[in-house]
Amino acid sequence: MKHTPTDYHDHEHTEPPSDIELRVKALESILQEKQLIDPAALDALIDIYEHKVGPRNGAQVVAKAWSDPQYKQRLLQDATAAIAELGFGGVQGEDMLVVENTAAVHNVVVCTLCSCYPWPTLGLPPIWYKSAPYRSRIVIEPRSVLAEFGVTLAPSKEVRVWDSNAELRYLVLPERPVDTEGWSEAQLMKLVTRNAMIGTGLALPAGDIR
Amino acid sequence: MPVLTEEFVPILVKTGASARVDVARTARFRVGDWVRVKNINPTTHTRMPRYVRGKLGCIKRDHGVFITPDAVAHGLGEHPQHLYSVSFSATELWGDVALAQDSLRIDLWDDYMELAEHE
Repeated sequence: MKHTPTDYHDHEHTEPPSDIELRVKALESILQEKQLIDPAALDALIDIYEHKVGPRNGAQVVAKAWSDPQYKQRLLQDATAAIAELGFGGVQGEDMLVVENTAAVHNVVVCTLCSCYPWPTLGLPPIWYKSAPYRSRIVIEPRSVLAEFGVTLAPSKEVRVWDSNAELRYLVLPERPVDTEGWSEAQLMKLVTRNAMIGTGLALPAGDIR
Repeated sequence: MPVLTEEFVPILVKTGASARVDVARTARFRVGDWVRVKNINPTTHTRMPRYVRGKLGCIKRDHGVFITPDAVAHGLGEHPQHLYSVSFSATELWGDVALAQDSLRIDLWDDYMELAEHE
């Protein structure tokens, strides 16, 4: 029987873990041996941010702001308090600022220092948000980076980049898509993507969910 | 003894740990003031990125009084002071490659800046 090169790889085998996985495991073991971390506490944290807290929270805030002008006003004046009205707050959302996209301004958020991100409303940051290319390029050439995300803006519109490397955490209030008059908050929520609340995306057009 | 145990996780997640402090400090700047970021180059922790050092910006919002990470990170106390949202034009930061209408906002502490003149 003749063997092609791929035949040698048709058996099952386990890939060794990646370097980063090994490094995390080693760190975790050492911290555990020294009793500096409680593995049950880590599991509880991971469970919360994998299963309970994520960008649907932020989408709820945005949908309410689109539907209720008084709520929107409170949100833009004191975001932390207005977000707390919906039951969201806590770690990495202690001091929030909501920035509104308008016909004149498009806002986009980055942390050039590391990965600061509003956890209670968006969950944990995506990998690209933490990557060096995003963090360095979005401040220097925001329009090219946005175009790579599929967002092309008129030159007349101001692009306003927010570097959240201090103590405030930012949520972008996207522009409400046209032809959504009379929609319920639950319907509107479906148009609000994570990237729209970072500013690397826009809210989905109405036709996308109907 | 671990700093964080399982039973404290829900409490931590819910309440967080704000860096905002309720102490009175005089704000050195007012909204609308023009400021120049100091050109200093500490080798220790700072939240003043190199790309704003020496640049001219405008105070847009006073966030209130926050502890200063530059001091806290090195066990030098909380050093509470005002934190501001400061706006820079993209061309001030990056020159002619940027579009004049684009801008960047970053939060900077009182210590980082000096009052500046602006035409």
